Amino acid sequence: MGKVLDKKRLKEFLGKVSKGKELIAPVKRGTLRFEIININYFDDICLEGRPLFSIKKFFSPAKHDLLKLNLADKKKPFEEEKTRFKPRVIFGARLCDFNGLLRLDKLFNSKEYQDDYYKAARENTLLIGINCVPAPSKYCFCESMGLEKYYDLMLHDMGNKYYIEAGSPKGEALIMTLEDYDFVMPEIKCDKKLFRKDLTQYYDNPAWNSENDKCLSCGKCTSHCTTCLCFDVMDELEVDLKKGKRFKEWDSCQFLNFTLVAGGAIFRKDRLSRFKHRIYHKLQYFREKFGMDMCTGCGRCIEACPRLIDFTEVINKFR
Amino acid sequence: MMSLNLEPFRITRKEQMTGDIYLFRAEKAKAGKSKNKEKLSYQPGQFYQLNVPGLGEAPISVCSYADDYIEFNIRALGDVTDELIKLNVGDNLWVRGPYGTHYPMIDLHGKSLIIIGGGTGVAPLRGVIKYVEKYRAEFDRVHLLFGFKSPEEMLFKKDMELWNRIFDLRTTVDKAGADYKGKIGLITKLVDESGLDSKNKAVIICGPPVMIKFTIQSLEKMGFSHEQIYISHERRMKCGVGMCGHCMISGVYVCKDGPVFRYDQIKNLHE
Ligand SMILES: Cc1cc2nc3c(=O)[nH]c(=O)nc-3n(C[C@H](O)[C@H](O)[C@H](O)COP(=O)(O)OP(=O)(O)OC[C@H]3O[C@@H](n4cnc5c(N)ncnc54)[C@H](O)[C@@H]3O)c2cc1C
Ligand code: SF4
Ligand code: SF4
Ligand code: FES
Repeated sequence: MGKVLDKKRLKEFLGKVSKGKELIAPVKRGTLRFEIININYFDDICLEGRPLFSIKKFFSPAKHDLLKLNLADKKKPFEEEKTRFKPRVIFGARLCDFNGLLRLDKLFNSKEYQDDYYKAARENTLLIGINCVPAPSKYCFCESMGLEKYYDLMLHDMGNKYYIEAGSPKGEALIMTLEDYDFVMPEIKCDKKLFRKDLTQYYDNPAWNSENDKCLSCGKCTSHCTTCLCFDVMDELEVDLKKGKRFKEWDSCQFLNFTLVAGGAIFRKDRLSRFKHRIYHKLQYFREKFGMDMCTGCGRCIEACPRLIDFTEVINKFR
Repeated sequence: MMSLNLEPFRITRKEQMTGDIYLFRAEKAKAGKSKNKEKLSYQPGQFYQLNVPGLGEAPISVCSYADDYIEFNIRALGDVTDELIKLNVGDNLWVRGPYGTHYPMIDLHGKSLIIIGGGTGVAPLRGVIKYVEKYRAEFDRVHLLFGFKSPEEMLFKKDMELWNRIFDLRTTVDKAGADYKGKIGLITKLVDESGLDSKNKAVIICGPPVMIKFTIQSLEKMGFSHEQIYISHERRMKCGVGMCGHCMISGVYVCKDGPVFRYDQIKNLHE
């Protein structure tokens, strides 16, 4: 059993839970995207459709400074960038977005190695979702992906009110004073399906070619993907060639140079091997290691692709 | 940052190996005035990320076995390595590591070793051999089979003199002038003609991908099984800790799950 909130009181509720925090919500100004907004601009929040760009940039920005460089100081040319982090509330993201974080945790917040920024963002972000009924895009197929009910709060649109369920003690505390409501959160239904299966024996199947032949190696699929966060690390100097920084920046396994090594060898030279690498990582390799797919069925890679390349069409042929 | 702390080391030795390859020795730069230096613990096969501020990092294998210094054998092959080889004795070298898996030296105790190296691939193997020098009694016979492009490209000539006395050392070069007295031919030929059998042996191979491939084919013909063979992979690396994705082959992170692998465990991976 959950709680209920009159829609007219949503602004007041969000204002309260985001007090002293940054509020992140989907905003429609031209394109629909997640932005940090002031609660005074509450009316700009748009819950129709899911933003084509996921929330991952708030956990690992597209470009992020790691070190300050000072070449003049021979004793200490490197200085670490301190991670400063203001607590945040993400409102209006979807179950696929939050499940994406569970995947990224395996890489960026494992027992052995942690990315400081990612870890701080994870520990200081409240996740308030909106239930995807109806599914917000025709490309969605999360129903096939067995997502977990992972969130602090999940809101379900009931016309003039929201039904709210807590998924964590933190979430529970936030809605304690709201009115109880006897209801069951409806399950997400998607028109699009992915028939998942062990892909081991399909690596050389010709079905991969038809979709791959259209690919431009532009990397939009990976930059929009909810769970892709491969990155490059680079040094950059100012014009004085003394001061500078080391930063990380999103990279894409779809780029030819992703596997380039000194001497000129490239390990995934043809596009087909890079396409398969992406999909096998999503649906096979990650599962073998961590027991879950690295795809949340958000459909972003399909919708963002200039050629509408759809890997589910390939996989579904393997039935 | 990503729990990747850079530590200052100091270059204490530098020796030119070939035209563009140098062997460096580095020790931990002393922290404060404490006399007791922290002991290093790295294993043959592991690597460190070596820094050139303003240019970036390069993964370089350890090529020694000691607890008070590390040696790196560096070939100038691009932005970072071109600068690294310009470092001199007394300079600081910022590193992080050690990273990755190592050759399972302790598991190999009691066995006879066949160590096969091609070109700069001999560098990480030098770490293995230094281990064997130290724990010689733990191993049965030790065979070293090395191939280089030319006599000028041959590495570790001083070590070779010693190894020639205490181990079964065989070297070959791809090409050489008429006055060269040693063997000429590919490393695979050296392996084919070695007459070695697979009994109670472990094989350690390091070198370019094609060399590894054909060497394994030769070994197969000689009756070696893939469980006896250890190889080391080289891939583009950025983070060294399984985050950036660059080094991944079929879900296997070469930086973290490798670079050293037992061959049977990775032979069927798709690039
Ligand atoms: C596990 C491992 C051990 C190695 N051990 C040695 C060694 O003992 N001695 C030695 O001389 N070389 C070694 N190398 C190769 C060495 O790391 C590359 O030659 C070096 O990274 C080239 O960098 P660069 O900036 O000089 O070249 P550039 O071509 O200018 O490279 C630019 C960037 O690309 C990346 N990159 C390019 N080539 C490689 C590569 N082969 N591996 C990883 N990243 C690469 C690096 O991030 C580098 O900063 C090793 C590589 C690996 C993966
Ligand atoms: S977005 Fe489409 S065209 Fe671009 S790399 Fe991805 S699959 Fe290829
Ligand atoms: S692979 Fe495509 S559908 Fe799956 S999580 Fe990434 S963007 Fe979404
Ligand atoms: S080097 Fe970054 S994942 Fe291996």
